[in-house]
Amino acid sequence: LNAIAERAPRQHIRFLPSPDGDPGLVATKVPVLADHPLVKGPRFRQLKIGPGHRLDTKSSGVFVLGIGHGNKLLTDLYNCHLTKVYTVGGLFGKATDDFSDTGRLVEKTTFDHITREKLERIIAVIQGSNHKALLMYSNIDMKTQEAYELAVKGLIRPMEKSPPLITAIRCLQLALPEFQLEIHCLHETQQYLRKIVHEIGLELKSSAVCTQVRRIRDGVFTLDDALLRTQWNLQTIQKAIWDCQLKVKTELEKTL
Amino acid sequence: RALSGRAGPRSVRQLQEAEAVAPRFQYAGKATKRKDRVFVWGFCFSGALGISSFVRPDAGWKKPRRVQPTPYRLETLEKISSAACGYGFTLLSSKTTDITKVWGMGLNKDSQLGFQRSRKDRTKGYEYVLEPSPIPLPLEKPQQTRVLQVSCGRAHSLILTDSEGVFTMGNNSYGQCGRKVVEDETYSESLLIHQLNEFDSRVVQVVCGQDHSLFRTKKGAVYACGWGADGQTGLGHYNITSEPTKLRGDIDGVNIIQVSSYGDCCLAVSDEGDVFGWGNSEYLQLACVTETTQVNVPRHLPFKIGKVKEAACGGTGNVVVTEEGNVFVWGYGILGKGPNLTETAVPEMIPPSLFGQSDFNPDVRVVHVRCGLSQFAALTNRGELFVWGKNIRGCLGIGRMEDQYFPWRVTVPGEVVDVACGVDHMVSLVKSF
Repeated sequence: LNAIAERAPRQHIRFLPSPDGDPGLVATKVPVLADHPLVKGPRFRQLKIGPGHRLDTKSSGVFVLGIGHGNKLLTDLYNCHLTKVYTVGGLFGKATDDFSDTGRLVEKTTFDHITREKLERIIAVIQGSNHKALLMYSNIDMKTQEAYELAVKGLIRPMEKSPPLITAIRCLQLALPEFQLEIHCLHETQQYLRKIVHEIGLELKSSAVCTQVRRIRDGVFTLDDALLRTQWNLQTIQKAIWDCQLKVKTELEKTL
Repeated sequence: RALSGRAGPRSVRQLQEAEAVAPRFQYAGKATKRKDRVFVWGFCFSGALGISSFVRPDAGWKKPRRVQPTPYRLETLEKISSAACGYGFTLLSSKTTDITKVWGMGLNKDSQLGFQRSRKDRTKGYEYVLEPSPIPLPLEKPQQTRVLQVSCGRAHSLILTDSEGVFTMGNNSYGQCGRKVVEDETYSESLLIHQLNEFDSRVVQVVCGQDHSLFRTKKGAVYACGWGADGQTGLGHYNITSEPTKLRGDIDGVNIIQVSSYGDCCLAVSDEGDVFGWGNSEYLQLACVTETTQVNVPRHLPFKIGKVKEAACGGTGNVVVTEEGNVFVWGYGILGKGPNLTETAVPEMIPPSLFGQSDFNPDVRVVHVRCGLSQFAALTNRGELFVWGKNIRGCLGIGRMEDQYFPWRVTVPGEVVDVACGVDHMVSLVKSF
C-alpha cells in the first residue's frame, strides 16, 4: 500500500531571500516541508482489521473481515441477523468429551442399525423444534395478522440476541459410519454444532463425533467470494472488496 | 511403581491402542422395534387425562394440577389402536384378543364408561374415573372378537367390534344409544350396554356427534339415530330417532368412505372426493348451498378444491384435506388464517408453509385432520402434529394458555400416528423414534 504513489506535496508561497543576491525577499512557491515523505513517514503504519462472526481453530470456511472504515459496516451486518450455512461432517460409533474426533474417548457404540430414514426423521424433529423456537424468540405478538402473514412467508426471525437457532438442516450423504449435514443457523458457535452432532448420535441410540465444520456461507458472502491463502495480496483484496460492495449495500438497505 | 498404572501424558499411539481395546456398547440392534406410546394434555380435573396424581396428588404437600399444558406420557398396558375424546371423558381401545379391550377414564355420571364398580361399596359405581379402567363388554366370543374403533359424544359412547356389531352405552335421553327412550331413566350407575347389529352390511366406522350417532357401513351407506332438532340425523325431520335409520338425500346410492361429526353438523366424504353435509348451519357451515340454518337432508357441497380425502367437523368450523395434502377451512371461529378471518362460507386454503413446507422440505403434506369442539389438529406425513383454535383450558398442548390463530407445532417426543380431540383435552397415539 505504501508503495502506491501518494498525492503530490502541497505547495505554498514563502518569502525567501532572492537567490541572485539582491536585497529584499522574493515570493517563491516551495513544497510544504511537512508533506515531505521523510518528515511525515509512510502513509499507512497500521491497518484496522476487524473480524466478523467467530470461527474457532478446529473449523474452516468463510471468515468475513472489515478493513478500516468497513468495521462500522460489521456492526450493521451483525444486526441484520442473516443465516450462516455450514457443512458438518460426522462419524458414528464414538463419543468423546469435546464432541470432536480429537477428544478423549468416552464410549464406543454400534451403528449398523442406522438408516437414512431414521436420520431424516431425527433431522425433521430438530428442524421442527427449532422452527418453533424461532417463532418464539422473535418477540412478535402471535395474535396479530402481521405475525400470521410473516409466518406464512417464513420471514419471522429473531432480531435481537437469542440462543443458537437452526433454521434448516439437511442430510447431504450417509455412508456408514460417516455422514454429512448441511445446517443453516443463527447466533451459533461451532461447538454448538458439534454438540448437535453428538445429540443426533444419542437420539439414534448410538453415538457420534464431529469431524469437520466448514462454513460455506456467512450472510451474503459465499465460498466464491472468499480468498484463498495464495490470493492474499493487494490487488485481489481490492477486487474482492469492490465486487462485494454492491451486495452488502443492498442487503443492509433491505433489512435496516 | 510397577503396580501403578500409566503416568503422565499419553502418546497418540497409546491413545489409539486404548481406544481399540475399549468395549463397544449396543443400545439398539437392527431389529429393534419402535414402541407405541400415548400422550395426553389438557384439563385434568375431570379425570379425562387418566393420570390420578393430577387430581389426587400422592404426596400431601403437592397441589392438584388443573391443566396439563404440554404432552404428558400416559402409561398403558397394551398397545392402543384407537382413542376418542368426549366431553370430559376418554376411551382407549386395543386390538387385542385378551378379555380387556377398552379402557375409559373421566366423567361417568351417565355411565358413558359403563358401570365402574366402586371398591368401597359393591352396589355403587364411580362418578369420576381417574385412571384408565377396563370396561367390561357383553361379548359372545370375548377371546376372538377385536375392538376396531371407539367414539365418544357428549354423554354417550360407541364401541365398534369386527364381528359383533356396535356396543353403545351412556345417556339415551335422545335415543343416541340406538334403543328406545325410556322416560325418567337414571343413566348413572347403569349396567345396560346395548348391542346394535341390524345394518345392511358390516359397520366400519362409528361417529358420535354431541347427542346423536352416525354409523357408516361397508357398502357405503350411513345410518343415524339420536337428537335431530338441528337436522343432524339427516333423516328429513327434526324429531328424535331411537333406532338407527339409513340416510337418503344426496348420499343415496353414493359410496361414502368417511363420516365426521362432533357438534351438531355432519360431513361425509364419498370415494370420488365429493363432500356432503347436513345438520346445523348457523355458522355458515352449509351456507354455500342453502340459507336456512338447519339442514335435515344430506346435501352435496359443490366445492372446487380438488378431490377431498378426509373431512372433520367441529362445533362451529369444518376442515377438509385434499389428495394433494392441502387443508381447507370454513365456518366460524378461529379458522387458522390469522385473527382477521373469523367466518367464511367458502373453503379457504391454509398455506402449506405453515405446516413446515419450504424449499428445503418441498414434500411435506398434511395426511389427517381432526376437530375438537373449537380446535383443529392436522397430522403431516413427517409425523408432526399442528394445532390451532381456541385454547380452552390448555387443550392445544402448546405450553401457553392463549388462543392460537395459525397452525402451531406441538412438540411430542415421537412420530404422531393419530390424535383425538375433545372439548378441553386431547389424546395422541405416538410411535417412539
